[in-house]
Amino acid sequence: MTLSVLSRPERPARPGAPARSARPRRTGLAWLYFGPVLISLLVWVYGPLLFTGVLSFLDWNLVAPDVAWNGLKNYETLATEPEFGNAAWNTLLYALCTLPFATVVPCALAIAMWKRPGRASEVYRVLLFLPVVLAPVANALAWQFMLDPLHGTVNVVLEAVGLSPVNWLGDPHTALLTVVLVTMPKVIALNTLLFGAALANVDRRTVEAARLDDATEGEITRRVVVPQLRKTLLLLGLLSMVVVWPWLFTNIGVLTRGGPSGATDNVYYRLYTYGFTFFDAGTASAAAVVIAIVFGALLVGYSLLSRRLRVSR
Amino acid sequence: MFRASARGAGVARHLLLIVAVVLMLLPLAYALGTSFKPVSTLYDLNPVPLPGTLENYDLALTRFEIGRLLLNTLLMAAGVTVTTMLVALPAAYALVLFERARGRSLMVVVVGAALLIPPGALIIPQFLMTSWLGWQGNPVGLIIPQLGTSALAVLLLRDHIRSVPPSLIGAAVLEGATPWDILRQVVLGLLRPALGAVAILLFINTWNEYLWPLLVMPSVEDTTIQPGLALFAAPENPQYGPLLAAAMLASLPVLVMYVLASRRIADAFIHSGLR
Repeated sequence: MTLSVLSRPERPARPGAPARSARPRRTGLAWLYFGPVLISLLVWVYGPLLFTGVLSFLDWNLVAPDVAWNGLKNYETLATEPEFGNAAWNTLLYALCTLPFATVVPCALAIAMWKRPGRASEVYRVLLFLPVVLAPVANALAWQFMLDPLHGTVNVVLEAVGLSPVNWLGDPHTALLTVVLVTMPKVIALNTLLFGAALANVDRRTVEAARLDDATEGEITRRVVVPQLRKTLLLLGLLSMVVVWPWLFTNIGVLTRGGPSGATDNVYYRLYTYGFTFFDAGTASAAAVVIAIVFGALLVGYSLLSRRLRVSR
Repeated sequence: MFRASARGAGVARHLLLIVAVVLMLLPLAYALGTSFKPVSTLYDLNPVPLPGTLENYDLALTRFEIGRLLLNTLLMAAGVTVTTMLVALPAAYALVLFERARGRSLMVVVVGAALLIPPGALIIPQFLMTSWLGWQGNPVGLIIPQLGTSALAVLLLRDHIRSVPPSLIGAAVLEGATPWDILRQVVLGLLRPALGAVAILLFINTWNEYLWPLLVMPSVEDTTIQPGLALFAAPENPQYGPLLAAAMLASLPVLVMYVLASRRIADAFIHSGLR
């Protein structure tokens, strides 16, 4: 989750500092202390990563003893199968739908609280952060109840004002957007918090000066505050592209299971389906490799950007 | 004129924030009200459950055996938090204290790169390895593989340990304290609140984990609360009364923690996000 390791170079050594040079080298002891983490990461992260790479060239059903070399066939399957193409397309749609909720919306909320600090803003802050910690499946079920096509509150209200009801999660045209909307409280809540942290670095005097010049609040937000947050907007947009997938996965798993007819599927859910519905370890692993490569490209982009922009909170 | 527009902006600001709070929390608030309603008024538009009933909670605890799932979840979250802290704290400490150790930059790379791998991409081999170890359906299999996420804890703890004044550590070294003494007495003594914040972050994230327990603990009795809720919801006609009551119980522990330490928890999430 944290990307600070990419954005922040190691502190330069200060050879002259007496307290530092008093510290012993102690290489053996250092690795002893580091050992447990090293073993944990080798066994549960780096080992599995290599293993995934190997599996992606095999034909295997996860259980039976017969394993066959499959060459690049698994990757060919991904490239030609319409289901994976659909999932990749949907992944792009998910990303595009998520972006405004990761940038514009939380930015506006954070600025609204920042402009007038006080008791009211503190209450908003506490409430707006709640979706980050609340049980994700509870959130999904609460929405499922309200969106029930027959008795759900949303449709009852729609009918009461003369509109026709919508089968939110059951209609392929609305299902993906509905899953996005159910997931967004968490994205908005986390990013509002992070925008708030970034705003701590904005000089309030620039706002006061603009107020003295009779600028309206809207102008102050657009011309004075937002320009100072431009880098944060970029970085949080990219960060959301990294963290949102497990949150979407939970809601897809609980609410739609990728349906109706693939409308809410994405590459992460596809990987899970290949692996644990079809028991096709090879194709699932090939999907994992593709995901890891795209993800890695995103992170390299993020690190290049953050190094160039030197954003700090 | 000036005053009127300033007031207008103030109203717009509150309106924006109130609409956001309502949209983001209304379904959960509505579910909370509904969880106290009897079946006969379950779908009423009025969100206030009058007269209220505890019948749904009773059903959630007896028919769904929610208590058992909550206990499983507590064990998993506590187990992951404790093991992760035990593994990550010495490592973070080594990164700060033994700055001149050979291969220290390799340690930083090992920890940093582990965070860059999308966790979803590792589930197939992690699942296979737990099967081969005979850890399927076993609490050990629920907890130990989640040590793969310990890299985040190492970096968070390292940042906290860095905030200990070097002169304090230097003085302890000159007095002949061993690294182990310094970890126990200086670092743990000074940083208890900060370490608590990291532990709370780990606990909440593990409490809300959905995918891993779904894979390792597929049976309804032994699973944890997030996949458990999803299993109860699966049939065609979910019984929303007990289901929403169970969902509220699933959120309660984390909510209590948040009420007790909202500022600290928010700070921990800021650290884990960006800097």
